[in-house]
Amino acid sequence: MQIKNGKDFWAGLMYIGFGLAFVLVSRNYSMGSALRMGPAYFPTWLGGLLTLLGIIVVARSFKSHLEYSWRLFEFRRYFMLAAVVIGGIAYWKQAMLVGVHPWFALLINGVAIVLFFASFGKRSLSWILLVTVLFGYLLKPLGVVITTIILVFGASLAGHEFKFREILFLAIGLGIFCAAAFVYGLGLPFPVWPELRG
Amino acid sequence: MEQLLSNLGLGFSVALSLTNLWYCFIGVLLGTLIGVLPGIGPLATIAMLLPVTFTLSPTSALIMLAGIYYGAQYGGSTTAILVNLPGETSSAITMLDGYQMARQGRAGPALGIAAIGSFIAGSAATLLIAVAAPPLAEVALKFGPAEYFSLMVLGLVGAVVLAHGSVVKAVAMVILGLLLGLIGTDVNSGVARFTFGVPELSDGLGFVAIAMGTFGYAEIILNLEQGEHREVFTAKVGKLLPSMDDFIYCVPSIIRATILGSALGILPGGGALLGSFGAYAVEKKLTKDREPFGKGNIRGVAGPEAGNNAAAQTSFIPMLTLGIPSNAIMAMMIGAMMIQGIAPGPQVMTQKPDLFWGMIASMWVGNLMLVILNLPLIGMWIKLLTVPYRILYPAILLFCTIGVYSVQNSAFDSILTALFGLFGYICVKTESEPAPMLLGYILGPLMEENLRRAMLLSRGDPTVFFQRPISAVMLVLAILLLIVIALPFLQKKRDEVFTESDQ
Repeated sequence: MQIKNGKDFWAGLMYIGFGLAFVLVSRNYSMGSALRMGPAYFPTWLGGLLTLLGIIVVARSFKSHLEYSWRLFEFRRYFMLAAVVIGGIAYWKQAMLVGVHPWFALLINGVAIVLFFASFGKRSLSWILLVTVLFGYLLKPLGVVITTIILVFGASLAGHEFKFREILFLAIGLGIFCAAAFVYGLGLPFPVWPELRG
Repeated sequence: MEQLLSNLGLGFSVALSLTNLWYCFIGVLLGTLIGVLPGIGPLATIAMLLPVTFTLSPTSALIMLAGIYYGAQYGGSTTAILVNLPGETSSAITMLDGYQMARQGRAGPALGIAAIGSFIAGSAATLLIAVAAPPLAEVALKFGPAEYFSLMVLGLVGAVVLAHGSVVKAVAMVILGLLLGLIGTDVNSGVARFTFGVPELSDGLGFVAIAMGTFGYAEIILNLEQGEHREVFTAKVGKLLPSMDDFIYCVPSIIRATILGSALGILPGGGALLGSFGAYAVEKKLTKDREPFGKGNIRGVAGPEAGNNAAAQTSFIPMLTLGIPSNAIMAMMIGAMMIQGIAPGPQVMTQKPDLFWGMIASMWVGNLMLVILNLPLIGMWIKLLTVPYRILYPAILLFCTIGVYSVQNSAFDSILTALFGLFGYICVKTESEPAPMLLGYILGPLMEENLRRAMLLSRGDPTVFFQRPISAVMLVLAILLLIVIALPFLQKKRDEVFTESDQ
């Protein structure tokens, strides 16, 4: 037995994973009956169906007329392993980490997130997704102008060419534009500059 | 008839108000702008601009979003003709003959007929919406929970049948979408489901984050992975208006494409892509004179462009009258309506006639604006096309990120978007079509609610779905569709159709 269609194989596994997860988590809620459906009723059925479809897709991947390698994209398992371990610590030992210092807890969280996204695909993927997360965290403390500049630089590093001067102009231009259009124009409640509190 | 006129009168009085004219203009302008740019589809566009509409009144917001959608269809054709790249997927077919015409020095007439064909088709389809919507909404008002449930099943099956690739995987994606839609507080019992104690999840997964991540981000990541290669054909656009001879030659294909596109747009799962592809196939079969198709026949531009615009317009019909989205873009529109606090469904027409008719009238106004705007602005769009992607994508990414963040002003949505960006990437790599998932996500809570009510009313008897005639017809149709699509002979035909449309 060997996997012929790698795309189907992984797709099927993904469906099984999601399906089982929904079925298992649903066990925490009441099932009810067909007459009076509890919160678990619909998701349990759907989750079961999804798992079943996943099994069909996986089974099909062993005898498919289409051939794809089972390596669909780069996956760094050690990164993922580290991300899971550090993320687990951050989730269950949160109180202890915050006890050391609130910034330390945040740092550990950040490391887990970076490792998680860095385990998939090429550089473009992890950079793009990471600057997005970073933007969410930096906007309030740093204000829209500086965050925009950071985002544009970070995003540019995901591409194939990086021309410093060009990106610098783009970043500053977009920073000013965002402040003007979104904050002053549309009235979104973003700070424009870093808040300097004592 | 009189009713229709007074309705349209109301609509135009709303659509022609200065504010709404302005937002319609902004919508079609932004839509064209983004349609011109290859690499971001209408879904990502609407997701990106959704937050901009939060501060507007619901009517203005929907007018603007609709404008973005059909504006993008116009813009996409410009890129297809000049750069031989689909600005939008629905323009992929326009490329075949449009780019050939450009190489023969006839880029002007190709752009011109695309705009004119779209306008004619758009106007006709708008009229069709105005005529067909009220009776449909009337029927829909009589629907009980059983009918609604069956209708949603039919809609989802339709989306599956028209999705690319494997049927089983499309069904799985729909179910995954339904499940994702259930995350959050259960309305009946008040239990917070699948939230893992995260307070941000108690209102459900953010719609904008899902749509933007799976479509917008995944697209940017994949574009970057592939690298950039494009060549703008700007040497000579020439005069824009097609000759009288060309125009008369195209009239029959515009009419055919409008009819076909309108019909395909209403189907569940239908929309612009299907319209343009269907129209091209018909024109290719029927046209025997002049250049062969693929070598710069002007009908190969007029047909698909009229078809995609007609379909883009009529795909609003099920959304407006039944509250059921027929494709992922309409799911976005429903999401926008709900954010604005309007429950989509047949009652919108009676309770908010100004919104309903204003939006329909604005489609015609917007189409007119597009013709007037686009012909003189083509020079500007060409300039835009020469901007390299390495400059464009950071800007696109920035607007996406701000858009997601501004929904709730929380970093949580940014993380969610990044996760769905990764999910969208994996979907593309595993050939799992994410569009049916978005439909499922929108319909998940509605389906559960109607299933519950139907079962409660029938005292737990599941045969109720087959006892009520309308519901039974819809379910039988859905089952037939699934059986038909599973037949090996049709499966092969369907594969051929999609492969051809991919080229």
